[in-house]
Amino acid sequence: MEAFDSLIYGFGIALQPGNIMYVFIGVLAGTIIGMLPGLGPISALALMIPITFSMDPASGLILMAGVYYGAIFGGSTSSILLNAPGVAGTVATSFDGYPLARQGKAGKALALAAYASFIGGTVSVIGLMLIAPSLASVAVSFGPAEYFALMVLGLTAVVSLSDKSLVKGLMAAVLGVMISIVGLDRQTGTERYTLDMLELVQGIDFLVVALGIFALGEVFAMLLAGDNGSHQRQKIGSLKLSRSEAKEIAGPVTRGSVLGFFVGVLPGAGATIASFLAYGMEKRIARDGDSFGKGNPKGVAAPESANNAACGGSFVPLLTLGVPGSGSTAVLLGALLVMGVTPGPLMLEQRPDVFWGVIASMYVGNIFLLLLNLPLIPLMARILEIPRPLLLSLIVLFCMIGVYGLKFSSFDLYLLLIFGILGLLMKLYGFPSAPLILALILGDLMEENMRRALQISNGDWMTFVNKPISLTLLIIAFLSLFLPMIIKPIRRRFAGKRQQPA
Amino acid sequence: MGRISSNQIIALIMAAFSVAYLIGAYNIPAFPIPRPIDSDLIPKVLGFSMLVLSVILFFQRDKGEERDAAAQDTEETARHRRRVIEVLVTIVAVGVYAAVLRSAGFVLASALLVGGLAWFYGFRRIFWNIGVSIGVPLALYLIMTRGMDIFLPPGILPI
Amino acid sequence: MGIAFRGILKASLLSLLIAAPAAAQADWQPTRPVEYIAPANPGGGWDTLVRSTARVIQEEKLAPVNFAAINIPGGGGAIAWAQIAADRGNPHKLFAASPPLILIPLSGRSRVTHQDFTPIARLITDYSIILVTKDSPFQTVNDLFDAMRDDPTISIGGGSAPGSMDHISIASAASAAGLQPNQINYIAFSGGGEAMVSLLGGHVRAVITGAGESQAQLAGGELRALAVSSPERMAILPDVPTFREQGIDYTFDIWRGIMGTPDMPAEAVAYYQDMYARMMESESWAKTRDQLGWIDAYQNSEDFARFLDEQQAQFRAVLGELGMLQN
Repeated sequence: MEAFDSLIYGFGIALQPGNIMYVFIGVLAGTIIGMLPGLGPISALALMIPITFSMDPASGLILMAGVYYGAIFGGSTSSILLNAPGVAGTVATSFDGYPLARQGKAGKALALAAYASFIGGTVSVIGLMLIAPSLASVAVSFGPAEYFALMVLGLTAVVSLSDKSLVKGLMAAVLGVMISIVGLDRQTGTERYTLDMLELVQGIDFLVVALGIFALGEVFAMLLAGDNGSHQRQKIGSLKLSRSEAKEIAGPVTRGSVLGFFVGVLPGAGATIASFLAYGMEKRIARDGDSFGKGNPKGVAAPESANNAACGGSFVPLLTLGVPGSGSTAVLLGALLVMGVTPGPLMLEQRPDVFWGVIASMYVGNIFLLLLNLPLIPLMARILEIPRPLLLSLIVLFCMIGVYGLKFSSFDLYLLLIFGILGLLMKLYGFPSAPLILALILGDLMEENMRRALQISNGDWMTFVNKPISLTLLIIAFLSLFLPMIIKPIRRRFAGKRQQPA
Repeated sequence: MGRISSNQIIALIMAAFSVAYLIGAYNIPAFPIPRPIDSDLIPKVLGFSMLVLSVILFFQRDKGEERDAAAQDTEETARHRRRVIEVLVTIVAVGVYAAVLRSAGFVLASALLVGGLAWFYGFRRIFWNIGVSIGVPLALYLIMTRGMDIFLPPGILPI
Repeated sequence: MGIAFRGILKASLLSLLIAAPAAAQADWQPTRPVEYIAPANPGGGWDTLVRSTARVIQEEKLAPVNFAAINIPGGGGAIAWAQIAADRGNPHKLFAASPPLILIPLSGRSRVTHQDFTPIARLITDYSIILVTKDSPFQTVNDLFDAMRDDPTISIGGGSAPGSMDHISIASAASAAGLQPNQINYIAFSGGGEAMVSLLGGHVRAVITGAGESQAQLAGGELRALAVSSPERMAILPDVPTFREQGIDYTFDIWRGIMGTPDMPAEAVAYYQDMYARMMESESWAKTRDQLGWIDAYQNSEDFARFLDEQQAQFRAVLGELGMLQN
């Protein structure tokens, strides 16, 4: 029972008093950083490198990992309450979390997010303990062709996300891909649609678009709807989940956790992609899929469990391959190097203390996060009791700080404004924003990997079909597009027939 | 009849945008070393897709989704105009904020933005307003510059 | 933890003794905190250089002021360069530089070039390394190049876009071996790590990346190195032959150094170049350098300037052969 021994060994390290303290400090700082829109975990982690320099590597990584997953845990708060995602990984949470809050169920949405995050985090820790050493081969098996197929599968969700009008949903998605390819083309070094502006050469940051279209666009829409004058207070609602609700979200949370974990293991994906894939999948398989985007609890549970599970999964490529899957894990990699630990295939043999210690500490950290966040919910939710005019102007400010904090560039603030106006127009004329955001995340990755794969195969398109993983993913993508067209009418007819006699 | 729906106007705008986008796509320089797919292919596909979608949208029958917008047109009351002005003022305020952030400094610019907008939206508790609009930016400024060593423009404030 | 802490303490005490008199000799000293710019986001090579040297300078008390690390990302560095170039003569602004400072202007994506700035000192270097999987049929770099001559579709992965470091390096090496540089099937990944993972999974046939970055994978035994671009074998990789040993006259430096604003006063340049020289003799630096796998390659301002001009000429020639020269 090798896994069990490693577990005991890991907890032996994670439960040392000093390390328990580091976990606690890490997750506390992470939660706060995640909750504040605009303070991403990347800069916080970069600043901790000098602090951790003289620490024992296991303790240092325990502390920094706590900040990282703590931020993803806490990031859901501002997504749900203000429609202003604090970190990219929690953008999908706002799709249903914010409508829930507007319906006076903010407490429930936040509690749901906390439970889902906790379960996602825990599942990923268990996954890491049981199969981490063999997961490296999963990560390695994904080459450009496989990533392309995964992105195609993700993009098929555009169809289910364009609720009312398919044409408008597709237009939003095309626009999303258009935004994603602005900047330097990594396959040729050619600039595309940069309009000769240096600021656009590295592309448009995802959070600028997300904060613009969701948060700022929402503020504009509220103003236009006259939703500001009245001093009416919003209800927070109960935090408790009923037994039927718990049963209802059990499926999405389980699937989200497993999916998120495996997506996190892939170095070319990450928490943001995991959350969108989980959301898209649940919307498609749920019987009440139509109510996604209007405050369905499953729409909070799925992405929240997935992003936290992916967060844990991302430690596999980081530690066993030395490859970071995101900006935050890139900083973690740098910190490890500075502490004299070189992540790679020998990590498990050379530094088992760091490897198993960090994994066990994540288990402890997740419990801390749950205990820390649940009592905070009523307090956080009182943000909604701030008089509407003041709250709206504060949201505007937080959007600006969030965007300015990315690159310290005023140019991005103008971009934010443009996307805010775009968000308002889309809302007014019935264009769904979720397809745009989804396409924005997946679009350039799909293009990049497609071209990379074709470059390797010397232009042979069969490369996507010849590889078993790629072929499987493409078949699932195909089925998920066309199966509902066949099944739904049948199901509806059956449902209709059964209802008629009654 | 004869009036075109808002969807059709959008379709026309997006069609024009697609054409401009396609012109851009055809002007993407070719990579000197031949590639199976060069930088310009996907933009061309995107441009044509958008064009086709715009045409479909133009000829699609309205399913009455646009009633809301139409209803607002008829309800051209002063209240509605006031709301439009609120949006426009917010847009201008955000633009001015971006322009003066560096020179005026983070705390001052943010305080004026929050306080000014809140007052404009109808928040009349003046002391609360001043307190929050100065307190929140100041606290954030101190957390970020002191606590986290993140640089924010200090501007004219001596802190 | 104890040992590390004592090491730092000892190092800083030592440096106090050395540094104090030396600093007193300089006739110019910074009077304000130095804006110490990494022209990229946190986490990359420039950022690591800026943060670790700032820490060593502080620990060893090499300067009377603080070196404040600032990230200015965007345009692959071009945004920061444009801002720094506008701050003519400011002696309190320095930034980290490496080959992209030469390559990006040559490909027409920056309005300023390295000649607009004042070289302060070259600090460290890394070398390019060519990797294959352990069961690859290629035993020497010549095996690989011969195979590429017969079959130009053999895919070589690298961690940066075409026209930047890894591509230039493999193209120059192939050119030195008598191949057409523009017939290499170079596959751009978004980082050396990602390229190596692709190699591990058998998606590409070989990878070119930084030697430092590949150490862990080489130690793991799944990958094998065919050649390294250093003039002599590297101390950290004694079993890896150089290109020269295998009959290909080719070396390539992935250098990193510090540059200043245009027309920085000569006294300030002298102060900083000496400060970095002293920094690199400190114990705290030795520890940092070894942990990060860097190799000391100090050059003072004058030598660094000459080196940069040579590099530019070399890169210009390769980019020209590739047809990618824009400027």
